[in-house]
Amino acid sequence: MSKLSLGGKASSSKLSSWVQPSFGSLLGGSGVNSFPLTKGTLAGERKSKVQPSSVDVGGKRPRKRKVESQASQSQFFSRKQGSQEDQDEPWVDVYAPQSQAELAVHKKKVEEVESWLRVHLDLKIANKGGAILLLTGPSGSGKTATVHVLAKDVDFQIQEWSNPTTSEYRMDDSFRQSFDPDSRFNSFHGSSQTGAFQEFLLRANKYNRLQMSGDSQAQSRRIILVEDFPNQFYRQPGSLHDILRRFVKTGKCPVIFIVSDSLSGDTSSRLLFPKEIQQELGIHHISFNPVAPTSMLKVLSRIAAVEASKSAGKISVPDKAALDQLCSGSSGDIRSAINSLQFSSFTDFSLEKGLWASKKGKSAASSFKAPVRAKGRSRSVKSTDVLDDSPAIGGKDASLFLFRALGKILYCKRESYEVSEVPKLPAHLAEHQRDRLLVDPELVIERSHMSGEFFNLYLHQNYLDFYLNVDDVARASEYLSDADFLTAEWTSRSTMLEYGSSVATRGLIHSNSSRAQAACQSSVGFKPLHKPHWLQINRTYRENYLSAQSLFINFCLAPISLVTELVPYLAKLSNPMRNQAQIAFIHDVGHLSLKRFPGRLKLEALGDKDPGGLDFDSENEEGTKTVEPGTSSLSGDTTAEPVLQSSQDPGGDLPASQPQPTTTEALLDDEDLLIEEYDSD
Amino acid sequence: MSLWVDKYRPTSLAKLDYHREQANQLRNLVQCGDFPHLLVYGPSGAGKKTRIMCLLRELYGAGVEKLRIEHQSIVAPSKKKIEINTIASNYHLEVNPSDAGNSDRVVIQELIKTVAQSQQIQSSTQREFKVVLLTEVDRLTKDAQHALRRTMEKYMSTCRLILCCNSTSKVISPIRSRCLAVRVPLPSTEEVCSVLTSVCKKEGLLLPVELAKRIAEKCGRNLRKALLMCEACRVQQYPFSAEQDIPETDWEVYLRETANAIVSQQSPQRLLEVRARLYELLTHCIPPEIIMKGLVSELLNNCDGHLKAEVAQMAAYYEHRLQLGNKAIYHLEAFVAKFMAIYKKFMEDGLDNLMF
Repeated sequence: MSKLSLGGKASSSKLSSWVQPSFGSLLGGSGVNSFPLTKGTLAGERKSKVQPSSVDVGGKRPRKRKVESQASQSQFFSRKQGSQEDQDEPWVDVYAPQSQAELAVHKKKVEEVESWLRVHLDLKIANKGGAILLLTGPSGSGKTATVHVLAKDVDFQIQEWSNPTTSEYRMDDSFRQSFDPDSRFNSFHGSSQTGAFQEFLLRANKYNRLQMSGDSQAQSRRIILVEDFPNQFYRQPGSLHDILRRFVKTGKCPVIFIVSDSLSGDTSSRLLFPKEIQQELGIHHISFNPVAPTSMLKVLSRIAAVEASKSAGKISVPDKAALDQLCSGSSGDIRSAINSLQFSSFTDFSLEKGLWASKKGKSAASSFKAPVRAKGRSRSVKSTDVLDDSPAIGGKDASLFLFRALGKILYCKRESYEVSEVPKLPAHLAEHQRDRLLVDPELVIERSHMSGEFFNLYLHQNYLDFYLNVDDVARASEYLSDADFLTAEWTSRSTMLEYGSSVATRGLIHSNSSRAQAACQSSVGFKPLHKPHWLQINRTYRENYLSAQSLFINFCLAPISLVTELVPYLAKLSNPMRNQAQIAFIHDVGHLSLKRFPGRLKLEALGDKDPGGLDFDSENEEGTKTVEPGTSSLSGDTTAEPVLQSSQDPGGDLPASQPQPTTTEALLDDEDLLIEEYDSD
Repeated sequence: MSLWVDKYRPTSLAKLDYHREQANQLRNLVQCGDFPHLLVYGPSGAGKKTRIMCLLRELYGAGVEKLRIEHQSIVAPSKKKIEINTIASNYHLEVNPSDAGNSDRVVIQELIKTVAQSQQIQSSTQREFKVVLLTEVDRLTKDAQHALRRTMEKYMSTCRLILCCNSTSKVISPIRSRCLAVRVPLPSTEEVCSVLTSVCKKEGLLLPVELAKRIAEKCGRNLRKALLMCEACRVQQYPFSAEQDIPETDWEVYLRETANAIVSQQSPQRLLEVRARLYELLTHCIPPEIIMKGLVSELLNNCDGHLKAEVAQMAAYYEHRLQLGNKAIYHLEAFVAKFMAIYKKFMEDGLDNLMF
């Protein structure tokens, strides 16, 4: 910090003017004593410069707001590049892409979006109704930028929805009528935001815009862009769906929804736009990938070159290696990459110099000292390995989709040692000799955004396909058993979870002797990954167990003898006394199909970007037998005979607790149940 | 028409078919008036419950047979609502507290308190205490067992407990020492045979002696199972023949096939198939412990002498983990994988020996 303020003092007059608005929070604390020391004249000058830009930046998301407001404004920026004023601007805005060529997004994606736009903009008169496009992708992958660039190319106007805040709200006349100041603090507000959204969506383009000066006739084509969603929708996606249904019927122009992917379980794109709705409303879905390192590098070096020529030495432009590092550190988020580029290229912070130096030193050192983590710098450029940790300044928290995280553990890439540095194991342990691992299992788990327990379940579901040898499998399964055993005690679980997952992942990696050497690793091809069965099986087991008890309570038997003796034998007997529910239960649970092999249960393939957290009630299974909805409604009647009650309509209250003979149906049923439980919590 | 098991269940101590000596002792216990807490234990299918019901009848007369099923909900101090089914007559209350899972302590305390607080209506003609029958005491948490021991003393004047379990090893010793322990052993094979014959006679059927004997052997002296088997035989074929197949439950057959699959091939793919089969068994309500036990006994049939010890030791190891751990499949699968590894090694060694 002291370095920083020293740098500030020694800096030339150009220093403070552009840094402040962009990185105000960083300098806010540390720069306090440095700025007052700058010359008085400078301070005045700065103030005048800062003013206009701070108005711009005032919005919640400066970049988007501005770019959206007028394409002409950004042209204005590009025109005045090289002048001093734009130093206040974040480079993200200054160098916002102006044409398709400048976009860092893959060409195919841009074309896809463009063709959709062309089709739906032209056909809008022919087929009445609004078309919907859904863009998803990680943040900073250029979704919004693509739309704005295309707005110019295809020639249409964008009308964007932004969530009204309370103050805007009251100033707006049309809303004031429905707004009672006395009831401001009750739930009224939230619902009317939804209402406002509906108004906007359905009526935004009903009437033509007034012809302002300079607006050409061609500009009359327009689309609606929605990036913000009223909070209400996250709680009740249904209300959004209703609005969308109405929009599809009556809307006049296409609408584009942009939703960022998130790695945590509750992907909002899934919540807001589930598959059924996408199909029902004919929503076209285009998913963006993180920006590829090559194209990002291109953009960064272009910006760096322009800045370097412009500033003539005042700005130190990072060298190629540093740019590489920025690319890998930002994990495909071009916005954060540009931001960090701007920050790091600022000369007068010796702090940052030090950071770079130490970082380089560290990474170089780590590749030798810590073999697990290590991955030579040179390598990291070639492979697009996100795992490779280079926390460049402002670097993003790299994170992994579950699919990739699992792959990293299961394929456990290795790298052979160079001859000089081979640590040899003694002869009797030679079978445990492994090549250097290229992944850090703990890091993988951390970045998969999953609890170790779940991660283990996923591993358990999938590990067998990667093993060739039964001995290896025996060892691996023992490690999994160990991991479960470690977390058995609930009092210590929170601490032991990490150890458990560490044991499981490292155990799995190490025990796979067929992948021990880098040379012989290529043997396993692509294997599909699947979602774990256990949670669902366990739930079915508990449900059946409970429903057995409540259905056959007349027999006064201990549950174990009930399910292992009575029910199976009842299946063998033709006893007419049973009621419908009991008969159904006996039929499902008492009988086992005696095929030689049941075939695999229907496997739910794990997609590329699927979030892992599909199971909300996993914590229930440590012995607390919660009464499931199905059974509780079944035995809800207190006195008399609950069994007879339920016999009145056997189909009605039982299905949740019944395993279906065909597992596919069971899978579907369970998904329904899952949602139900989540709501009730 | 009810099952033979229920239809021909003895209803009084005098009518019990075996362990008559013990039945007499129980009757004496009732008559001498000073009735203690009881801890009835013994393997499944030995007739513990039958004996307890006979005892209750001896205590209270035919009134105990008017059973009603009640659905009670109890609110724990943590505001959690626990729902539990009880079976009760005017004189006694039967409950399986382990149904309540972790909150069994609350269930025990609340239920016993409510029972004990209400006096008998006609204390002159009736006993002055009611009976609470707790089943599966061995599955209670330690917490609940300690609560139980306090409750036992507190409400001694108005309430007696009869605890019923398979083994006393999981019952804490303070409880054991407060109860009169009654062990109900399994009936001998001959006793099973005679019960089967007499039941068949009452049904008007003729049961060949050989078949009775085979059933008795097959059921592992579990009388409930024997009667169910016998009835299944009747459904399958009548008149009985001495050689007819005795129907087994589907899951037993399935488990045996699973064991055969393990023995016939040892590979990761096979393990995957076995896992699917284990899941199948679990969804059909077969508890993991039973699966483990069944697997081991089937696998041991295929093992050589010295391998048996190793397999059994391994099974015990993983069974222990199964009890402690959360997710049974890890441990079941680890056991199967380990067995595969050992068995494969054993077979390969055997082959090598043959070749030289």
